[in-house]
Amino acid sequence: MFSLIAKQFIRSKTVIFIFVLILIMGITSILIGKQFLAKQEKTIAQVTRQQEEHIERNVAYHEDEFGLLMYYLRFALINKPDKLSALSIGQRDINPSLQSVTIRNLEGQKYDTDLNNPANLQSGNLDFGFVIIYLFPLLIIAFTFNLLSEENETGTWRLIAIQSKSKIRFLWYKLSIRALMIYASLAILFAIAILALSLELNGSLAQFIVLSVLYLTFWFVLCFWVVSFQRNSSFNLLTLLSLWVVLAILLPATINNFLANKYPVPEALSTMVKQRDGYHKKWDMDKQETIEKFYAHYPQYKNYTDTTEGFGWMWYYAMQQMGDDESLEQSNAMREKLMQREHASRLIALAIPTMYTQLLFNDIANTSLGDHLAFQDKTNEFHEKTRLYFYPKIFENRPVKSEDWSQFKPKYFSKNTDSHPLKLIWPLISIITIMFAGIMMNTRKI
Amino acid sequence: MNLKLTILIAKQFWTYTLKSKPVYVMLFVICILLAYAMYSGWQSYVIQNEIRTHYQHQARESWENNPDKHPHRMAHFGSFAFRLKHPLSIFDFGMESFTGNAVFLEAHKQNTVNFSEASFSTGLLRFGEISMAMLLQTLIPLIIFFIGFASIAAERESGTLKIMLTQGASWKDILFGKSLGMLGLSLLLFIPVFVILFLWLWLSNSIVFTNDEWWRYMGIVGAYFFFFQVICTISILVSASSKTSKDALIKLLAMWLVFVVLLPKTTQAFGNYLYPSPSKVEFDSKMEKELVLKGDSHNPDDSHYKALKDSVLQAHNVSSVKDLPFNYGGFVMREGEKNSSEIYNRHLNELLQTYRQQNSVSRYTAFINPYIAVKNISMALSGTDFQSYVSFQEQAEAYRYKLAQKMNELQMEFVSNDATSSAGKSNSISKKHWVEFPDFEYQFFSVSTAVQSEISSIIALAIWTLASSGFIIIFSKKVKTI
Repeated sequence: MFSLIAKQFIRSKTVIFIFVLILIMGITSILIGKQFLAKQEKTIAQVTRQQEEHIERNVAYHEDEFGLLMYYLRFALINKPDKLSALSIGQRDINPSLQSVTIRNLEGQKYDTDLNNPANLQSGNLDFGFVIIYLFPLLIIAFTFNLLSEENETGTWRLIAIQSKSKIRFLWYKLSIRALMIYASLAILFAIAILALSLELNGSLAQFIVLSVLYLTFWFVLCFWVVSFQRNSSFNLLTLLSLWVVLAILLPATINNFLANKYPVPEALSTMVKQRDGYHKKWDMDKQETIEKFYAHYPQYKNYTDTTEGFGWMWYYAMQQMGDDESLEQSNAMREKLMQREHASRLIALAIPTMYTQLLFNDIANTSLGDHLAFQDKTNEFHEKTRLYFYPKIFENRPVKSEDWSQFKPKYFSKNTDSHPLKLIWPLISIITIMFAGIMMNTRKI
Repeated sequence: MNLKLTILIAKQFWTYTLKSKPVYVMLFVICILLAYAMYSGWQSYVIQNEIRTHYQHQARESWENNPDKHPHRMAHFGSFAFRLKHPLSIFDFGMESFTGNAVFLEAHKQNTVNFSEASFSTGLLRFGEISMAMLLQTLIPLIIFFIGFASIAAERESGTLKIMLTQGASWKDILFGKSLGMLGLSLLLFIPVFVILFLWLWLSNSIVFTNDEWWRYMGIVGAYFFFFQVICTISILVSASSKTSKDALIKLLAMWLVFVVLLPKTTQAFGNYLYPSPSKVEFDSKMEKELVLKGDSHNPDDSHYKALKDSVLQAHNVSSVKDLPFNYGGFVMREGEKNSSEIYNRHLNELLQTYRQQNSVSRYTAFINPYIAVKNISMALSGTDFQSYVSFQEQAEAYRYKLAQKMNELQMEFVSNDATSSAGKSNSISKKHWVEFPDFEYQFFSVSTAVQSEISSIIALAIWTLASSGFIIIFSKKVKTI
């Protein structure tokens, strides 16, 4: 009987059409991801070349003044995208994957964005994550909404009631053939993704797949639950589509507004103003006073003194340093605010599978806000290391030529990807289990 | 066509629909959502504008409090431009969340506009935002389809359609009547939204409304009215052309998906693919190279500046820059600023042109997708569209240029050629010059500019409006009763 049900399902032209459509959308999304990765890799290659040229040119111009040279030189830190980011681009299109910073005040450079067309950002990426989160549920709805009702409406239900041993088993068969087909198309798309993006077969990918399968299972269970109330086709379709609109659009969007207004980030602007004032106002102040503050921060440089009358590089970099030192409080408050947003959205997401899956996809692919914050932290470290390396050389005004400039290649940052939170799939599993119980209650009556 | 009959059918459709309980549930949910959207839009407007004006003032105060100093120090001290939200952004958030809100303006350097709402987002922004415009554009059409799918198909199934037609109603009467009834139902949501918005804008203390804004408001009301008219007609026509109401429902939902979700996203992605835009690294390094070619004011051996120096000395008939009647350093910087701004603006315009091309693909789908037409018109009139983003950038850059050049000119005029450094108290000029230089003030562009930039969307919506009535007439001649 199973094969008969399968044949009946696959023979329909609409079914074939819908499958072709989802495969096309899936492949498109994978290609978009590939394009995204290619663009990122191109940028990385460019910055590597550009940094080399940039250092060479400036070293040639400013041969005899180390301090002046360091005013210009930029050093890049790259947040290398994980290949999985092609599947779930997340916040990677908005937040830059690259920081190219001078050793001057960091707070004035750290938040610079990449160039983006806001219309592209608004429309959002059509990545594979989108196909899974938005489109696959629609496919599931389309194939299951009339699972039972079509039998009623065409009058075949009575025949089945007479002929088959268990009506409910018949329904499960029907459901499982649909599920099989949908999981199969998901598998095909993952296979294409693995080949097209040459993804590594590692734990992260496995987590991505397990999460996708669970998410689709959630929708199957939800659909079957609605079907098990035995209402007519139009009612089921309306209900399921409404649920989709609520879960995939209205609820997350409402929560987004709520969080944006509950946690505005004025700290960003105060950091911006404070870092300017912290640095620039030092020009009007007593030179020694600023240098004393600098000594207080870095006692190791106490043996260096700026003896020049008027402008001196040690004074200059001490002033720059004050831009960072005096805006530290604002900058930390801003980070704190963003962490509050992150925690709040994660907490709410526990109850809403669409949001939950999206955030977890981004986690696995290293494309979340948290990953960007980690990159910014790393930028702080990188910047600090670079400037501490150069400070003594500037203060001593070493010959520019004494430095091996070829060693300054862009550095890479990649987050440790081992500790992924698959143990956190319990929210999805609990929701599925609860709905499953609902189905069992309803189907006892069938 | 029998007008009385048409109105009768419209009324009948109206009362029949309002008898059903699920419709009330939907209306209730929509009302709550609209109320929340309005509250949330207003809240965001008030909070954000308060924050931004606060920091604009604070930054300005700090600027004015600068003591006497060398003007070049002030050129680097710089200023900020914070984007203010347009009052109508309460209605339509548009692209605002994805464009930066604050930029540091200093000499020699065009900084990026930073701190967009999206850059603070945890990833939820991907799901969209709830605004009144978003609900009117995406959710209400869906509701119209939910209500409209059965309008004629169900009458056909139950056989009442035949009775109506034999009793003297023509197809035209039925189609127009039902469309009218449907439109009436959607106005049930539409009118309160715009009345409340009107009151809100009118009575609110924090919003000053000028004529320009009222024109924008009226434009928005008009655009949505015609959009709903088109959507209502589509729902009725699809229902009339379907054998069963279930078929009609499936067709309408598929259309909604294609129009609202799939087509806009895929066409934007396609535009992005067709017209690739450079990354910041690419953009910067191209500019840097060109700047070096043109003449690098920081390179002591640069030939462009050597030639400039010679010609200036010759013109003033002196042998050394020290004898010039103005500060030569200021003069070189003015020249350098002019060159680098020219190059920057040219590259920026190229970049914006590429973005416009990317957007054009989706923009032209307005002729096959009324949703895109209304979306673009609504954003433009609410001051939250692409053009507004460009306009802010242009104004900020113009201000930056003015500031840098003003400081260069002050240096030329008041600083002696013996000055070697801009540090400290030497070579300083009076602080009154800082106070005199006006603060940045963001201007929204006028409604006529908005209309011009969305002229294609307006034409598309007009065509849709006319075509939808035309379809009813054509359809009523061809339709089968059974």
